[in-house]
Amino acid sequence: MNDTFLISIVTFTYFLAAFVFLISIVFNKKSVDKWALIITIAGLILQTSAIIMRWIHSYQLGIGHAPLSNFYESLVFFSWSIIFVYLIIRKRYWNNLFGVLSAFFAFLILAYASLSGNVNCAIQPLIPALQSNWLISHVISSFLAYACFTIAFGTSVLCLLKIKMKPNMLPDAPFLDEVTYKMISIGFVLLTLGIITGAAWADRAWGRYWGWDPKETWSLITWLIYGAFLHARLARGWRGVKMSLVSIIGFIAVIFTYLGVNYVLAGLHSYL
Amino acid sequence: MIKKLHKLFSSVKLTIFLFLFLAVTSIMGTIIQQGLPMERYKSLYSPSVFSALKFFNIFDMYHSWWFTTLLTLLSINIIVCTFKQVPRIIRLISPEKKEIDDTVFKSSQIRKTFQSQKKLSDIERHAEIIIKSLVGTPVKTVKNDTIYFLAERGRYSRLGMIFVHISILLILAGGLIGTILGFHGQMNIVEGEKSDTVTLFGGEGAKKLDFDVRCDDFTVEFYETGMPKEYKTDLTIMNDGKKVDSGTIRVNHPFIYKGLKFCQATYGIAGVSDFKVVTKNNGTGDETVLKLNMMKKVSLPGSNASFAIARFVTDHGGMGPAVLGVLLEPGKAQHDIFWIFQNGHNINQQQKSGFTFTLDSFSRLYYTGIQVSKDPGVPLVWIGFCLIMMGFILSLFFTHKRIWMKISGSQDKYEISIAASVSKNRKTFEEKLEGLTGKITVE
Repeated sequence: MNDTFLISIVTFTYFLAAFVFLISIVFNKKSVDKWALIITIAGLILQTSAIIMRWIHSYQLGIGHAPLSNFYESLVFFSWSIIFVYLIIRKRYWNNLFGVLSAFFAFLILAYASLSGNVNCAIQPLIPALQSNWLISHVISSFLAYACFTIAFGTSVLCLLKIKMKPNMLPDAPFLDEVTYKMISIGFVLLTLGIITGAAWADRAWGRYWGWDPKETWSLITWLIYGAFLHARLARGWRGVKMSLVSIIGFIAVIFTYLGVNYVLAGLHSYL
Repeated sequence: MIKKLHKLFSSVKLTIFLFLFLAVTSIMGTIIQQGLPMERYKSLYSPSVFSALKFFNIFDMYHSWWFTTLLTLLSINIIVCTFKQVPRIIRLISPEKKEIDDTVFKSSQIRKTFQSQKKLSDIERHAEIIIKSLVGTPVKTVKNDTIYFLAERGRYSRLGMIFVHISILLILAGGLIGTILGFHGQMNIVEGEKSDTVTLFGGEGAKKLDFDVRCDDFTVEFYETGMPKEYKTDLTIMNDGKKVDSGTIRVNHPFIYKGLKFCQATYGIAGVSDFKVVTKNNGTGDETVLKLNMMKKVSLPGSNASFAIARFVTDHGGMGPAVLGVLLEPGKAQHDIFWIFQNGHNINQQQKSGFTFTLDSFSRLYYTGIQVSKDPGVPLVWIGFCLIMMGFILSLFFTHKRIWMKISGSQDKYEISIAASVSKNRKTFEEKLEGLTGKITVE
C-alpha cells in the first residue's frame, strides 16, 4: 500500500467527519459529535501514518528527506495542520461548527492534492537549495501558522454572517470574535517564527537574510496585515465586522503568499 | 507643534495605518520586478510611465526615499509608544509593597465579597487552597485583627510586549546598518582562475576585495532523473599570490572569510578544451589520437597535411557535441571544413583524404557563480529575532496574576473580600474563582 492511496482514504474520512459534525449540529446531539470526533482523530492518525510512510519510502528510494518538499507534500501537511490545530483548540473553544469548518477545509485541500491533474504526487529528490536543516522547522512553523489563519478565516466569516443575517444556529458574535483573535495571535507568532527560520535559511543559502523576493515580501505583507489586526483589537478595541474583514483580507494574503507567488509572480522560491 | 507631533507618534492609529500602508505599497515591488537594468524598464513602459515610476524609485522601491521614510516613521512610532508604556510596566513588575492597601478591594478588575460562618482556621485553610490553585503560594500578613493573603505570579510576562517592540527596532537598525555598511554581489570564476572583483546586485557597480579568490575546482552532480543533486566549489583565498585560507562551498553551506560570506549560487560552462580527435588512416588502419585545442594547427601523422579545429557546439543538429574540423593539404587551394561527431553512429565518422575522424572526448571548463556578501547588521538582526520570540513566549504562555484576600470580622461572621487582576484570560480566571469560593461559603 502506498501513501498516496492512504491519503485518498484520509480525504474521504475528513469529508465524512465534516458531514457527521454537520449532523450533530442539525440534530443537536452530543453523542453524534463524539462520533465525528472519533472519525476526525482516525483521519489524523491515518494521515500521520501516510506522511511517515512516505518519509520511509523516500529513504528506500535512496533520496531520503522529510515529506515537506513539493507542492503535493505541502498540501498534505497543510490539511494535517488544520486538523491538528482544530483538535488542540477544540477543548477550549468547543463548537461543532468549527469541526465542520476544519474537516471540510482539510477535505478540500486533500481533494485538490489528489484529484487535480497539476499536482505531482511522486517522491522527488531534493534539489541542492532544499538540502538544509532549516527545511523542517521553516515548513512546520509556516504551515501551522497557515492552519491557524485558515480557522480564523472560517470563524470570521461566521462572525460576519452572524452579525449581518443573525441566524440562530451560529454561536454568539463575541465568541466567534474571540476565537478569531486567539487563532490569529497564535498564527502570528508561528508566522513570525516561519519568517525567522526562513531568514536564517536564506542567510546560509544566498548570503542575505532578507532580499525582498516576492515570497519574502508577501510573507511580510501577511505579517503586517495580521500585525495591524492585533494592534487594532488590543489597543483600539475593534471588534466584530471590522475585525472579521481584516481577518479575511489577511487570509487572502496567506493564500497569495502560499500559491500566488508561485503561479503569478517570478521569484527564487519557485519550489513552494 | 511638538505636542501635536507627540500625540501623532504615540497613537496606535498611526501604527495600524503604517502597517496597512506598508503592506499595500509592498505589493507593487512584487509585481514590478526589482533591480533590472534601466534599459529593460525603458523598453517595458512608455516614457511618461517610466519617468513616473523612476521618480518614485519603484524599480528599487524597498530602498527608495519614501519607503525608508515610512520605516523611519514606524520606528519613531514604536519608540514613542514603547516609552509611554515604560512607567506603567515598571510599576507592574516592581515588587509589590508589603503594606496592604485596602483600595485594591474596590479598584481591581475582579472583586468579590461574601460572608462565612465557618471556623477561622477552616476559612484560612480554604483561602490558601484557593490562592494556591489560582495563583501560587500566598503570603500571610495580619494587621489590626484582619488577615491578609496575597500572591502574585508571572510578573515578568508584562515585559513581553516591550521585548517585541524593542526587537522590531533592533531588526530595523540591523537592516539599516547592513544597507549602509554591507554589500551583496556575485563573482563568476572559471576553474583554475582567480578574481578579486564582486559585481554588486542592483547595478551598483563592482567592489574590489583586498584579496583574490581562486576557484580550484567545480563539480556538479545529478540524480538519475537529471535533477541537480549537488554543486560544489573548492576555493582558495590568495593574498599577494600566497595561499591564505581555503574551503569548500556547497548550496546551503557557505564559506566565511574575514566577515565575508561566500555562497554557492550558480554555475555555467565557461568553455571546452583538451579535445581528443581520433584519426584512422583508412589505408593502413592505424589510429592516432590527436590532442587539440581551438585553432591550434597540428600535423596529421602519416601524411603531409595539417589539421585544426575551429568551432565547438554542444549539440549539432540533434547529434550531440561536435567540433568543426579544418584540414589543410599542401597544394590545395581550399581548406576542407567538416563537422566531427562523437562515436556511436557511422554518420558521425567523417572520411576525408583517406582518414576517418571521430571526436573522442573533451573537457568542460566550468565557472562557478558565488554570491559574496558582507552584512555587519546581521548580529543585531539575530538578537532581534531571539528577543521577538522571547517576547511572544512571555506574553503568550505566561499570565501576570495577582490576588489579594482579606478576612475580617469576628467569630461566626467573617467577611471575606477577594480582589484579583490578570493580564489575560480573565473570563476563565473568574469562572475558576467562582467555583473555588463555593468551598468557603457552602456548609
